[in-house]
Amino acid sequence: MAKQEASGSGRVVAISPDDGSTIDLKSPALAALLSWLVPGLGQLVQGRRFKGLLFMAALVPTFLAGMWLGDGRVVYASWKPGEKRWAFICQAGIGAAALPAMIQSWRLEGPAKQPAFRSPFMAPPLSRGQPVSPAYAAALVKNDPDIDADDFRPLPPWQQFRPPPPPGMLDRTPADQVSIWHKRLGRFFEIGTLYTMLAGMLNVLVVYDAWSGPMHPTPRDEKGKQ
Amino acid sequence: MTPLAALIAVTLLDRVPGVVYGLPLVLVAAIVFAATHHEDSTAIKRATLEWIGWLGGILGGVLVAVWLVSWLA
Repeated sequence: MAKQEASGSGRVVAISPDDGSTIDLKSPALAALLSWLVPGLGQLVQGRRFKGLLFMAALVPTFLAGMWLGDGRVVYASWKPGEKRWAFICQAGIGAAALPAMIQSWRLEGPAKQPAFRSPFMAPPLSRGQPVSPAYAAALVKNDPDIDADDFRPLPPWQQFRPPPPPGMLDRTPADQVSIWHKRLGRFFEIGTLYTMLAGMLNVLVVYDAWSGPMHPTPRDEKGKQ
Repeated sequence: MTPLAALIAVTLLDRVPGVVYGLPLVLVAAIVFAATHHEDSTAIKRATLEWIGWLGGILGGVLVAVWLVSWLA
C-alpha cells in the first residue's frame, strides 16, 4: 500500500520502496486528474519524468492499437436497451482519448439526432428503427461502405435506420449497425475492445500512482514486519 | 529454440490466434504493474521482467490447461 506523509513544509510525499528516499508528490489531486486525461501526464508534472514517459509510451499506443484493430468502431458509449456498452466503463479510464465517445453519444441521442460534425467517429451504432438526421443519414450512405440508401426510410423530419419489416416479411439483413461491425471485423472487434479496455483499466493504476505514489510496502513497513 | 519448443510455439500460434495479440498486452500490463510498484528506473526494469514471468506463467498455464482439457475431451 502506498504511503503519503505530510512533511513539515506541508508537501505531500511518498517513500520510495526501492531506496527509501522521499518522492515529492506535487499537487496529487491535479496530477491524478492530468494522468487520467493523458496517461503519465501527472507524473511528468510532478517531475517523475521516467515513469511519466513510460506510462505514456505503454498506454497511449495500446489504446490506439485497439482502435486500429477495431477499425475505429470499438470505443463508443451506448446505454440504449439492447445495446448497453459495458466495455466503455473500462475504456473511459484512458481519459481524454475516450471523451469524444461520450459527446457523440449525447449528440446522437439528443434532439439533433446526429453526432458532432456528422462524423461517425466514436458514435454509437444505430439500432433498428432509430431515427437520425437526414444529414447524418446522407453522410453514412456516402462514407460507410456497409450502408446504402435503402437502409433508410423517410420518417419526417428524420430518416429511420432499417425500419422493422412488414408483418410476415422475413428480413435476413443484420438488424443493427453493431451486427454489421461484428460481421465485418470478426474477432478483431473483440480484440480491439480488449486492447482499449485494458488500456483504460491500467490507467486507473497510473492515476493512483500520481495521487499516492508507488504501491509497494515501504522499507519502514517491511522492517516493522520483521 | 529446440525443435519441440518450436513445434509447440507454432501449434499455439496456429490454433490460438489470440496468443499473438495477447502477448503485447502481457508486456504492457507488466510495465504498468512494475512502474506502479517502484520508482527507480532500474528497479522498474527488473520488476517488469518479473511481472512478465508471473503474468506469462499464469496465463500460459491456464492456456495449456485449457488446451490439454480440450485435447483429452
